[in-house]
Amino acid sequence: MTHSLHRFGSIESQRNDFVWFIYQSKGINDADFEEKARRAIAIAEKCGSENWGDIKIGCKLKCPANEIATNLSRQSRIRGVFTKREQVVEFLKEMKEADLGLSVIISGLLDEVLPSCEEAALTPHTINYSLGVWGKKDLLPEEDVLAITSMCGHHMIAANLVRKKMEEVKKGRKSAEKAAEELAVLCPCGIFNQVRAARILQEAAVKA
Amino acid sequence: MVQINRKLCVGCATCIPYCPVEAFKKEAEERKVYVDEEVCTNCYVCIRNNVCPVGAIEESNLDNFMKQFQHVISDPTVTSEGTGVPGRGTEEAKTNDVTGRYGRGEFGICIDMGRPGIGCRLRDAEKVAMAVAQAGVVLEGPETTPLATLMTDIKTGKLVDEALDTNVLSVIIEGKCPKEKLPDVLMALRRVEKEIETTFCLGIVSRAEQEEASFFFETLEKLGIPKPFRGKVNVGLGRPLIP
Repeated sequence: MTHSLHRFGSIESQRNDFVWFIYQSKGINDADFEEKARRAIAIAEKCGSENWGDIKIGCKLKCPANEIATNLSRQSRIRGVFTKREQVVEFLKEMKEADLGLSVIISGLLDEVLPSCEEAALTPHTINYSLGVWGKKDLLPEEDVLAITSMCGHHMIAANLVRKKMEEVKKGRKSAEKAAEELAVLCPCGIFNQVRAARILQEAAVKA
Repeated sequence: MVQINRKLCVGCATCIPYCPVEAFKKEAEERKVYVDEEVCTNCYVCIRNNVCPVGAIEESNLDNFMKQFQHVISDPTVTSEGTGVPGRGTEEAKTNDVTGRYGRGEFGICIDMGRPGIGCRLRDAEKVAMAVAQAGVVLEGPETTPLATLMTDIKTGKLVDEALDTNVLSVIIEGKCPKEKLPDVLMALRRVEKEIETTFCLGIVSRAEQEEASFFFETLEKLGIPKPFRGKVNVGLGRPLIP
């Protein structure tokens, strides 16, 4: 699954957008995963992860964080977002120290993520490089809409719903932050960056 | 496909903007909503999020294998039976520090058909899978990637005929190739992208080593493909916990 890899929008708006993952590998290192995942979540929370979740339960904007942590299973997939590079560096340092043996992955701009690894004294093992969109690109929605829909890489957030939220913000019916949170809860993984989405919604409202 | 209970639907159209593939439509005469079964991917966004204020949206009758496959592959909260992995059923590079799926001197190919948010017919997935297989990609098997369960021949990427018209929100074609085959694979993708009715997102997986990176970036430059600026980085903290 590559649902965090292909995000769109301006480079500057991607600069404060990092997805983190903690992954177990079935039958290899998934013993005691639940307890290790709870430790990883505690580290991510301490480092300021704005959103996170488990695909089977939902994101923390929809379910209380302790409910997600309590109901984890060996199949759970834990992931979330950071909005600052310093949070990523701190997270990596603490995960290295915790030595849980689970795979740790960060998605984002390479010129932000690779120096973050270096600062945390980590040597990356593997990189999945995004070569963007191919095929019938004329089917894609407008750039600011795509920047938001692609933050749920499983595409649980429809372009038409983003347009509706943009309209609501533009007309002053709700704040950009509120609209961004209403979109975020549709992404069960917890990798939707509602802070970045609110900024894009606000900018679209000003432009319109 | 998802169904609308006509007795309950009040035609408020609240559900319409929630569908990622625009499968909800409104009848001209009775003004009730219906589901376009040619378009719906059974992703269940509408059901999981209770988007209908009167509860008129109902689950599908997944009474044949292709409907079940469509639902499993389009709804990331469902675990793929073959791979045991939720979220469209694959781990690719995320656990490579533990599994060693992609080694030195080879490149992983992750083609997200139908992304971002367009959806695709499996006929197009077959075209792309066959193109990269012919160019030298060894496709992943059913134990690691769900699409392989529909392949009649893993070496060619050919799918079973009854799958071809199925519409999914997205599906991943995964495989790997030796480094010397990478230029052929990318050129094959350049050709086949003109033959499909949808989009795909392309990810290329490589070990994070200077030699691999140099080869990759030189190949892209020779083919006129822009250098990537986004990546998913496995930071190398995983390890097998075998006693």
